[in-house]
Amino acid sequence: MSRADLLRALADLAARPHPGSASIAEALELPRAPTASEHTDLFDFQIYPYASVHLGDEGMLGGDARDRIAGFLRALDVTPPPEPDHLVVLLHAYADLTDLAASGAPRADHARRVLLHEHLGSWVGRFLARAVELGAEPLRAWARLLTVTLAGELAQHGPPPELPPALRDAQPLPEPGEATAAEWTQGLLTPVRSGLVIARADLARAARDLELGTRVGERAFTLRALLDQDARAVLGWIATEARRQAEDLAPVVATGGDGVAAWWGSRLTATAGLIARQLDGRGGPEG
Amino acid sequence: MDADLDRLAERVDAARSATEARGETFYPGPSRSQLAAFPPKERWDDWVELDSKAWPKKVEKRFMLVPTTCFNCESACGLLAYIDKDTLQVRKFEGNPESPGSRGRNCAKGPAVHNQITDPDRILHPMRRVGERGAGGWERISWDEALDELALRIRSAILTDRHNEVMYHVGRPGEDGFTERVLAAWGVDGHNSHTNVCSSGGRTGFQFWCGIDRPSPDHANARTILLISSHLETGHYFNPHAQRIIEAKQNGAKLIVMDVRLSNTATHATEWVAPYPGSEPAILLSIARELIRNGDYDREYVRRWWNWQEYLAAEHPDRPATFETFEAVLRDVYDHYTFEFASQESGVTVEQIRSVYEAVAEAGPRLAVHSWRSAAAGNEGGWQVSRTLFMLSALMGAIAVPGGTYPNAWNKFVARPIHLPHHPASWNELTYPLEYPIAQNELSFLLPHFVEEGRGVIDVYFTRVYNPVWTNPDGFSWIEMLTDHKKVGLHAALTPTWNETAYFADLVLPMGMSSERHDITSYEQYDAQWLAFRQPVLRAARERMGETITDTRQVNPGEVWEENEFWIDLSWRIDPDGSLGIRQYFESKADPGTKLGIDEYYGWMFEHSVPGLKERAAEEGLTGLEYMRRYGSFEIRRGIGPLHETPIGPEQFATDKRVDRFGRVYSRDPEPDKENFAPTGAPDPDHEGRRAVGVEIDGEVLRGFPTPSGLLEFYSGTLASWGWHEHAIPTYIKSHIHPENLEAGQVPLISTFRLVTQIHTRSANSKWLDELSHSNPLWIHPKQAAEVGVITGDLVRVETELGHFVVKAWVTEGIRPGVVACSHHMGRWRLTGHEHAHRLNTTTVALHNEGSKWSMSPEKAHGAFESPDPDTSRIWWTDVGVHQNMTFGVHPDPVSGMHCWHQAVRVVRAHEEDRAGDIFVDTDRSRAVYRDWLKKTRGARTVSPNGERRPRWLIRPLKPTADAFRIDGPVGRRSADAPAVP
Repeated sequence: MSRADLLRALADLAARPHPGSASIAEALELPRAPTASEHTDLFDFQIYPYASVHLGDEGMLGGDARDRIAGFLRALDVTPPPEPDHLVVLLHAYADLTDLAASGAPRADHARRVLLHEHLGSWVGRFLARAVELGAEPLRAWARLLTVTLAGELAQHGPPPELPPALRDAQPLPEPGEATAAEWTQGLLTPVRSGLVIARADLARAARDLELGTRVGERAFTLRALLDQDARAVLGWIATEARRQAEDLAPVVATGGDGVAAWWGSRLTATAGLIARQLDGRGGPEG
Repeated sequence: MDADLDRLAERVDAARSATEARGETFYPGPSRSQLAAFPPKERWDDWVELDSKAWPKKVEKRFMLVPTTCFNCESACGLLAYIDKDTLQVRKFEGNPESPGSRGRNCAKGPAVHNQITDPDRILHPMRRVGERGAGGWERISWDEALDELALRIRSAILTDRHNEVMYHVGRPGEDGFTERVLAAWGVDGHNSHTNVCSSGGRTGFQFWCGIDRPSPDHANARTILLISSHLETGHYFNPHAQRIIEAKQNGAKLIVMDVRLSNTATHATEWVAPYPGSEPAILLSIARELIRNGDYDREYVRRWWNWQEYLAAEHPDRPATFETFEAVLRDVYDHYTFEFASQESGVTVEQIRSVYEAVAEAGPRLAVHSWRSAAAGNEGGWQVSRTLFMLSALMGAIAVPGGTYPNAWNKFVARPIHLPHHPASWNELTYPLEYPIAQNELSFLLPHFVEEGRGVIDVYFTRVYNPVWTNPDGFSWIEMLTDHKKVGLHAALTPTWNETAYFADLVLPMGMSSERHDITSYEQYDAQWLAFRQPVLRAARERMGETITDTRQVNPGEVWEENEFWIDLSWRIDPDGSLGIRQYFESKADPGTKLGIDEYYGWMFEHSVPGLKERAAEEGLTGLEYMRRYGSFEIRRGIGPLHETPIGPEQFATDKRVDRFGRVYSRDPEPDKENFAPTGAPDPDHEGRRAVGVEIDGEVLRGFPTPSGLLEFYSGTLASWGWHEHAIPTYIKSHIHPENLEAGQVPLISTFRLVTQIHTRSANSKWLDELSHSNPLWIHPKQAAEVGVITGDLVRVETELGHFVVKAWVTEGIRPGVVACSHHMGRWRLTGHEHAHRLNTTTVALHNEGSKWSMSPEKAHGAFESPDPDTSRIWWTDVGVHQNMTFGVHPDPVSGMHCWHQAVRVVRAHEEDRAGDIFVDTDRSRAVYRDWLKKTRGARTVSPNGERRPRWLIRPLKPTADAFRIDGPVGRRSADAPAVP
């Protein structure tokens, strides 16, 4: 049974809600379709459904991580759209390749396996784990269903034979003392370096937990403002958060395989350890 | 888990798999998801939906789905009428997925057709004026009375050789060529279109290049799209084009938008270029210069397809006639159009102009360009906007190739009709006056001035889905003309709804809307040719149910008719016994001597004139007519490609061939039958009467373009020989609102832009659209607003040449500083005390007149009213804008004839006594402005190189006989001193 249309339906709900979203949500047996504000809050303000944000050296849109996917699409004779690394594009591309593979097109099955292993499975489990925590009810249900669906696909193909290049080549968080404070802060917010996926809501939670004030702005600005108030407490909170996020790698196992999950787990653990060393007075970021 | 996922996959795939398993057509949704976007066409006879009003109960409603075509803007998007099978009422309109242009998608105006057909104020019966014109008295009459009155007058005009005292003035065209053929059958050169207040400027530029007056950009495949328009939201053919522009963007294309306003389109642009209005050609020529200087253009294409040899022979006869010489001359001629010059003229930075140039150069032949109204309609010399824009296409070889721009006639199909009458034998000087020999279209907006000057009178005047009092500039002059019985003998307004022109008519005749009339349409929306069928959906529905309908009035509301049957009936009454030679064109072929019916008219066309339709229909066991009634559209062919490169078979010049020195090939051998009647230029025969066959390039005879040379005319011999030598090649003409032409304190007013949810005055009868857009405040930049001393919502007085209007200010950074703008569509009105009038989105006004001084002041604000539609009691808005066009003088471009809409105005704080919507005009001033612009012309008597009124090859809806083309040829009307017809 092809699940291409199932994937397209799931992709549709990750795109902007429209009048037909309710029918799609109903067909998927989700509680309801997300509202526009719920969609905006999760995908525009909290976490970002782009491979480049999760795999890029700076945790931002674009760059090598995006180019890698654009190149992959070009190799398939597809003109890359402006945002080739958006989850919706990737799911549609995977669904299209599934249809092509079913029609016997040469290389299609190989291409979709590469897409799943390298461009989706390498990061989407981390994203979906956070979506389940941060999203409104219909988006939590959507994230769970997408996790299960992609797990089904991974089960068909088997786990990646080796670690995806984006993870294999990723630089770790710099050692204390090797980066400026701004670089180090940015590194914490860069998933592929710290392992952490930190949302605005997380920073607000940190402020509440530590009884600090939040300043509204970019996440880096907000994090800097927290560090300025009580660096020790905030770093301690982040280390705890890294350990907490390391406990929820099931979606990564499901969508990327054990190897990918182990990689993310080790990166989170390393971040927690790094911070602990820093708090023990064994080094820290330059001011 | 797998079983659950498979069950879910099966569930979401159910719609598609079940549909396909039934052998039905599955139309996927726009997100390509598994949910069907449209009912399968195989189930259009009996489609079941749940009744929304019965919710939460699940009550099934059964519908018959009948296709038709939207009649609001000119895009002709497909609609599907959902007809309740219990009540035989149309319940809603959605898109028709079988429509190849719109592909099932519609803008807001499509579904809003339902408002229009249920509008409580629509005209349901023929009405005749009682009392003075414009006084508001009306009585209901029968169609027979109306038809007989019209027929008597028209017959009398024809019998006394006053053919051209009959005039038909059209707004939205219905079917290509239908009414032109009616007039031709009558021998009347009385076609008058709105085009010179619309697109003549844009058309002119394209026509002088390629002999075809509209562009057809292949947006979807473009690498760079260059729009001098707001084409994602309005314009021809914005919905079909917009979806393809977005596809191109998704594929990585750059979108460049030149617009003085931050339109919705500009917000989606890669580059928003906001030039000073009228300076667009300076920018475009600077880009052309850079392409030429850097050798970025397609040399081989230019060598093959430009008429450079003719240019060198005419302008540089002493230099070697080589392509290299031409290239050198080209560099010299445009050398002064530097980026710096363009920047100085436009106020756009050199860096941004360079960036646009780079995008054009990178695009190569995949450069799609479009300009229609916008700058071409606003400025004196605006026709050079489209001409210089198309020059970029011509340089890049981006013509009729994927991602480029096609001449529209190649992406359009006009079928041969059952009858083709001859063209008239006289020339109508009220539409094509001698002063404007190369005007693109009729000088329609000057009509009141021509009549005032005694150039002629109009005995029978039809306005048809047209509202010149409101739409045209100088509306009070129109009121003066329409209320003068000596100038207009009988005015019949063919209209679905009351409007500002119909108030001054003698007869108001109700015509059908989108779903109540027949038309064939075909428009350039991608590289293909297709045909769409507009039809009265209730007629089609009842015929499916086995009824025989012979007259559309049997199914339309009240006595609303459609024009095709109306014109056929009227023609029979004009010539009841056939002695005038008119009736033959309105007779059945199947049953000679009887009246031609609509089914036979279209049935004949679909069987004989539309390639492939008969065969496609036969696959489903249908006739061509049955197929079109069922599906509404037919794609004849796609991938038309560069028709100009088509080799001409030697049989076309087997016995006679003459090639002129520039390669134009002529022959006396017979011309093959014409299949497609889409309007194009008609190159003249040679001096010995041979027809133009093609053009010889590198030893091969190719079809070429329908220009005199058969080539792309960089150099227009027509312009050179008809008095405009200085513009024989693409140039920059400084607009009438160029800073050099403004007085102290004046700024340009942009009045032409449209809103995405309205269409001229035709959509005011839609409550949904009016709720979305109902006012037209003045866009003004904060800097300028501060100078005037106003904030958003304050009233300002906008002083024009003729008077002033009062409007609310909207302070926004979305407009270039130093320019103000006020949108089209708004400021609709009805007259105090009129019982028959349109109430939705209109203000009740009083007209005051003293000599040449006119004023209009609001008496009662717009608001809720009681009607059979409960929604009219819920109207919450009161501001419906201002009728600014009334205060504009006429600005005919001396070359294209286009009304140059932009105004030089002063914006001041409103006076204490001013109220929003106030208008004041002095028509003496309007006559002075008319005379000022008339002085710019170069009339045929002075410049005609051959004693004729107009170059014959130029497009004209009706082409009078050769005799009538002579300057002193017959004009088909009384002389100025003849007695009036009683």
